[in-house]
Amino acid sequence: MSAVQHGMLWPRTVDEATAMLADDPDARPLAGGATLVAMMNARVLEPQTLVNLSRIDELRGIRGEADGGVRIGAFTRHAETAACALMRGPAAVVRQAASKIANATVRNMGTIGGSISFADPGLDYPPAIVAAGASVEIAGPSGRRRIAAADFFVDWYTTALQPGEIVIAVLLGAPRMGGGAYVKHARVAGDYATASAAVCIDAAGPVRAVIGSCGSTPVRDDDADALLSGDRSDAAIDRAAALLEARADPLDDVRGSAEYRRLLIPRLLLRAVRRAEAGTDT
Amino acid sequence: MSVTATTAKPVSTRVELEINGVAADVRAGLSTTLLTVLRDELHLTAAKRGCNQGVCGACTVEIDGVPMRSCLSLAHGCVERPVRTLEGLLETPRMQALQRAFAASGAFQCGFCTPGMLVAAHALLAADPTPDDAAVRRELSGNLCRCTGYARIVAAVQDAAAAINASGEAAS
Repeated sequence: MSAVQHGMLWPRTVDEATAMLADDPDARPLAGGATLVAMMNARVLEPQTLVNLSRIDELRGIRGEADGGVRIGAFTRHAETAACALMRGPAAVVRQAASKIANATVRNMGTIGGSISFADPGLDYPPAIVAAGASVEIAGPSGRRRIAAADFFVDWYTTALQPGEIVIAVLLGAPRMGGGAYVKHARVAGDYATASAAVCIDAAGPVRAVIGSCGSTPVRDDDADALLSGDRSDAAIDRAAALLEARADPLDDVRGSAEYRRLLIPRLLLRAVRRAEAGTDT
Repeated sequence: MSVTATTAKPVSTRVELEINGVAADVRAGLSTTLLTVLRDELHLTAAKRGCNQGVCGACTVEIDGVPMRSCLSLAHGCVERPVRTLEGLLETPRMQALQRAFAASGAFQCGFCTPGMLVAAHALLAADPTPDDAAVRRELSGNLCRCTGYARIVAAVQDAAAAINASGEAAS
């Protein structure tokens, strides 16, 4: 490989992109720019090299797989995901989360790979893809791997991505009967969630309930899921919410106090479970 | 290809853009945004620099035919992606109807948000020729106005839609 190049680089394949990132530890991958360019404008980051992922065909678009699963390419913009009819049943939670990100113009720019790689706990996708039982496909210098979405989010702004790795797709399993719902509580339209709840009810299997914006990563609890899988009375939802709240570690910030966020958890969970049961897409 | 030390000052390099159907050959650093090129190099000043963080919508332009934030778009990333600013949309009947309706309704006071509102509304009416109140509010929620309280903007977009639909019926 020749000397490190600076400026905007335009890989055409995933392998070219990961090689460029491996060559230059300071290079940054650029997807939709909705977060990275905002950070550059604020002088938080001043990269000398950007690896622009927009011309890699493999990363673009949503497609059904042979096994019935749905593959959302990492460069898929939120607007496309929000309009995609392939996400039905429990997987509708992902489409609903996409439709609630920021505003229409930003949804034309931002991508699912960029969003989850940023891993701000206030984002809409993380709780939704964890609730959907999605996996994340990653490529890097040592090849490709898949991990569960629940293992992808490690800490504040920290993912399981290793240096030189990028997200290449979010994978949803084959469509199942049932329903999914993403309920977001925000101060004003377009803001980050103060708190959110993502629920997937598989008609033939388990329930997964995840709380967003109430800790460093999406908040989930196996006992809460087991409880809701057998009983979705108001009292059971209250008990599940208490289990989730015990796992939560919300902050006081401009969007609400930690105490207020804790109060939101049972209310948002109840609403999300009922909407998932009804299968109403809102 | 020469290699610069990582401590070097930002280097401007040539970038060829297509703005309002015309080729624009400019110089830009890696971190230079499309908005900066539009305003400071090409003197297309309809798009405004408000928050520079993608929140306010005052910088909205069309890229690849879709409204996007020019403040979050790097100039070097816009190669081979046609850009249309408000200046490049002024001749469309839809934009002219919107401008008439904004003026007639008093849908602006200071005017800073107006170009972004118009570009976003232009795309909205292409996708939905008869938006109800909720649709206008939802689709323009990424464009902040600190003067009007929005009511007259929502009314103006619907008035423009009605005028366009009436003229379409008259023409057919």
